[in-house]
Amino acid sequence: MSSRVMRDFELLLPESIEETIALLARHKDKSAVLAGGTDLLVALKFDYAIDNVISLALVPGLDELDFDSAKGLTIGAKVTIAEVLRSQDVKDHYPALWQAAKVFATPQLRNTATVLGNILRASPAGDCSAALYATGGSLLLKNANGCRNVDLDDFWISYGVTARRADELAVSLHVPAPEKGQKSAFRRMTRTTEDLSKINAAVCLQMTGETCRKARVVMGCVGPTLLRLPKVEKILEGAAVTPDLLRDISNVVISEIAPIDDQRSSAEYRNKVAGVLVKRVIEAALNAKGDDQ
Amino acid sequence: MDNLSVVGKRVERVDVRAKVTGGAVYAADVQMAGMLYGKIVRCYDYAHARVTGLDLSKAAKCKGVIKVLGPKDVTQKEYNGSVLDMMVSADMRGMLGDIDDQSIFTSHVKHYGDAIAAVIATSEEAAERAAEKIIVSYEELPVYLTAEAAKQPDAVQFRPEKPGNLAFQLPEMAFPDNAYAWGEVDKSFEEADIIVEDTFYVPKQKQCQMEPGAYIALYDDQERLNCWTSTQMPKLVQKKLANLFELPMTRVKINSTVIGGGFGARLGMVLEPETCALAMAVPGRPVKVLSTREEDWVTSPSRHPGKYWMKMGFKKDGTPVACDAKFENYKGAYYVDASGTAFTTGAWLGGMYKFDSLRYRGESYYTNQSICGAFRGYGNPQTNFVMEQMVDRGCAALGVDPIEWRKKWHKTIGDDGWCMGVPYNSCALDECLDRAAKAIGWTEKRAKYKNQTGTIRRGIGVSVMNHTSGAMPMLLEHTVCDALLHQDATVTLNLACSDMGQGSHTTLRQIAAETLGFPYEDIHIATGDTDAAGFDIGAHASRTLYVGGGAVKQACEDVRKQIFDRAALELGETVDNLYMEDKIIHVKGASNKSISVLTIADQGVNNFMNPENGELIGQPGQIQGYASFFPPHNAPPFGASIAEVAVDMETGEVKVIELVNAHDVGRAIHPGIVEGQLDGGAQQGLGMALTEETYYDDKGICLNNSFTDYKMLGPSDMPKMTNILVENPDPTGPFGAKGVGEAGIVPPVGATANAIFNAIGIQILEAPITPEKILKALAEKSGSKA
Repeated sequence: MSSRVMRDFELLLPESIEETIALLARHKDKSAVLAGGTDLLVALKFDYAIDNVISLALVPGLDELDFDSAKGLTIGAKVTIAEVLRSQDVKDHYPALWQAAKVFATPQLRNTATVLGNILRASPAGDCSAALYATGGSLLLKNANGCRNVDLDDFWISYGVTARRADELAVSLHVPAPEKGQKSAFRRMTRTTEDLSKINAAVCLQMTGETCRKARVVMGCVGPTLLRLPKVEKILEGAAVTPDLLRDISNVVISEIAPIDDQRSSAEYRNKVAGVLVKRVIEAALNAKGDDQ
Repeated sequence: MDNLSVVGKRVERVDVRAKVTGGAVYAADVQMAGMLYGKIVRCYDYAHARVTGLDLSKAAKCKGVIKVLGPKDVTQKEYNGSVLDMMVSADMRGMLGDIDDQSIFTSHVKHYGDAIAAVIATSEEAAERAAEKIIVSYEELPVYLTAEAAKQPDAVQFRPEKPGNLAFQLPEMAFPDNAYAWGEVDKSFEEADIIVEDTFYVPKQKQCQMEPGAYIALYDDQERLNCWTSTQMPKLVQKKLANLFELPMTRVKINSTVIGGGFGARLGMVLEPETCALAMAVPGRPVKVLSTREEDWVTSPSRHPGKYWMKMGFKKDGTPVACDAKFENYKGAYYVDASGTAFTTGAWLGGMYKFDSLRYRGESYYTNQSICGAFRGYGNPQTNFVMEQMVDRGCAALGVDPIEWRKKWHKTIGDDGWCMGVPYNSCALDECLDRAAKAIGWTEKRAKYKNQTGTIRRGIGVSVMNHTSGAMPMLLEHTVCDALLHQDATVTLNLACSDMGQGSHTTLRQIAAETLGFPYEDIHIATGDTDAAGFDIGAHASRTLYVGGGAVKQACEDVRKQIFDRAALELGETVDNLYMEDKIIHVKGASNKSISVLTIADQGVNNFMNPENGELIGQPGQIQGYASFFPPHNAPPFGASIAEVAVDMETGEVKVIELVNAHDVGRAIHPGIVEGQLDGGAQQGLGMALTEETYYDDKGICLNNSFTDYKMLGPSDMPKMTNILVENPDPTGPFGAKGVGEAGIVPPVGATANAIFNAIGIQILEAPITPEKILKALAEKSGSKA
């Protein structure tokens, strides 16, 4: 049950990354970091209580959205979904991410919510997270002792739990430069257009002609975290992607997921459509002109 | 009649500037000196329990707390938040058996969110924090969420006077065999060549009005109880509060604040009793009570959900011989509108087709769900979902076109309307069907979508409805209106009709301007003060334009008559020989003889006596018109919708491609407002068909009392939509108008269901029709084939 009155907290407004890290070192798990706030502020109206909210509002150096064809894409902690959606580089080189951003929530939320916030939320329904998990990437985490990079493959531990330590600031996400022949796509199903996913999927395929060299296939809302589907990836790798292969794949998907019943759908339904969705997202990646969906 | 200057025009709405600029003052915005805040403590742990202990002591000691109130600290009188008992005659009241079974705070929790106690404090925050310190202990009771569970012989009884937890069934006295019926149904079925029968489920849809509950009450130094509320029915709530707190009506005043949407959620009392009880405990201090969305969800009424069984019989030639139906609704924790909806759900069924015989039974069972009450359509969307699918099943078996069948067998002028014995006096449903069919390309698409294969299948479906404009003669429809002619020849109307966003204050003003022959800008509507305004039954049953408009018209005709009478005296002519143009009254055929309305109005107040000799000049006194208006009928609106859908056979997802709504509106006083009503209605109708439902876990804990998991269709979900206004003036409506407030929600429900049936060849019996249900049904069908 929500409240009309938020619980008391100290709002801390550091003005540099160093200052932010110092505050995190002091308050650790007694603090929450506020970037877009679209999750945090809602939680604060429910039962979530936190003593210190560290706002990134005045911290410079966190709004980088930079693409380099050799180095890849860097997304700073304060980069919003809307900024990603406006980026021609993202649209051209990371269609899965762009498609996820396009259907993400509503314009108001896209203007506020951040890409890194979506990752840090560690929800199995995260749309941008699913797309980025398929594309691959690593987070730059900083604390008073220095910094480290954590691959997205190792970042989500369980529902709502990540590898970020309480004193670490997620500074940016780095996504590798797309290889030649890289194709990606994102698809989801929702109850209404403006909704959280009831099931979502993203793929990133390295293609040579009709043949798939390498595949990353991700599915959301079918387990406690976003899941990669290794069996599906293995079938794809080295194979020519034909309608028959896609049919085989869609039959394998169900053995790799463990959905539950919740408010958005049922385990039964998710099991039924998961294969269809994977088949369709692969087709979308291979056929896409980038701006579909 | 078509020579109209204000009626039929898209004038600027009276409320639009304030609403779009944020200037509108809602109850939550009202600030007063010395304001206190009330927080109601509700039970969110159980849906059915007895309170075994209540410790208010810790809360009372909290900072900022003025008072903490339990059940014994407020009136013990029971009440019924619904106003239905005040809308019917005394005889009918006795027959319906409506009871008072709600209390301000309860010790028998009957639904998730029932009120236990309250805190009054100097700030909202202090009240919330103190409320957390109230300790309640409970004894859990078995939870009954359905009629089937509640009617079990060993079930805990909600009320001793309603055995078997049967809150209401159609009373034997007026409905022999507890049925709304004509003919001999069982016998008629023997004549049927084709019989279709099934049991459906209709969902607990929520109004989702934008403004959550917000109330202020003040028991002032004159010992008057003042309540600021966005209720749809200020005059009936005034009387209800007077009864509850045992005060004369002169000591109860409702100040109507801007209403942020109603749709029935404010039809009667919601949290007015609680707020007023708090204010009575702290005389002289205003107390404000604000609901969160989640709280509003479970404390204001919803649509009646339940099981709806129906059986229809047809002869080979299509003749509808019999219809038998039973709606067992899951009433919720309290009586509220147990009687009204149980009846009307059948009335809309009875009002639609010319069955040789028909029998409908409606029963309301207490359950541990939040209360059900009025919601746009009042039983009609439920009936539409079931009746229209059964008709289409019949048409499929008969091999006839669903539109042709409907055109042949729908009731029309001279047939009994929803209220037996009151025949329809206007009906343009055939034109609605013809124009809708043409607009969407019915015939071509219906042919094209036969025998489809492939993943995406298209379907097209139709649905029709009858509704009402006010509920005469069942309910005592009545509006009082004063029209005061000011010295400068402008007019203020004083009446209690509320505008909950449907635009009634605009259309009432148009009716006044047209009747008087004055410009729209010369009229002001004063509402919101129950001290000043005469009776009005309230905004319900699509009646404000029809009945309120009738009152405005009659009061303005009175003003006009008085103006003309005075002009006739001044000009030495008979009234018959006068006409008005631009507020100047001329003598027919004598261009030099005239008097302005301004002169008459001014003379009556500012210049009626010669101070030198005391002689009267002209006609003294201010002109005021008056009407205490009862409509002669209920001007039935009819309507049809045709929906086209695309169903994904692999995922069960439904996309509504196009929706055409054609409505017999009598006359569109303001076409833009009519279209707005139809658009908004369609959004809710499609929502009921496809996504909207409030639901509970086994323990009766509501799982989706917020927009996170209760999904309404948003703008991007809406199809291409066309509204066709069929203007066929009703003989009794003001300028021929019928009510359209509810009509728009009804036929999209059945049309969508029928379009899905057309696409996939299966009828989904439970609304909302989700992809989960479609995929399951498709799997069952292919499984049974294999």
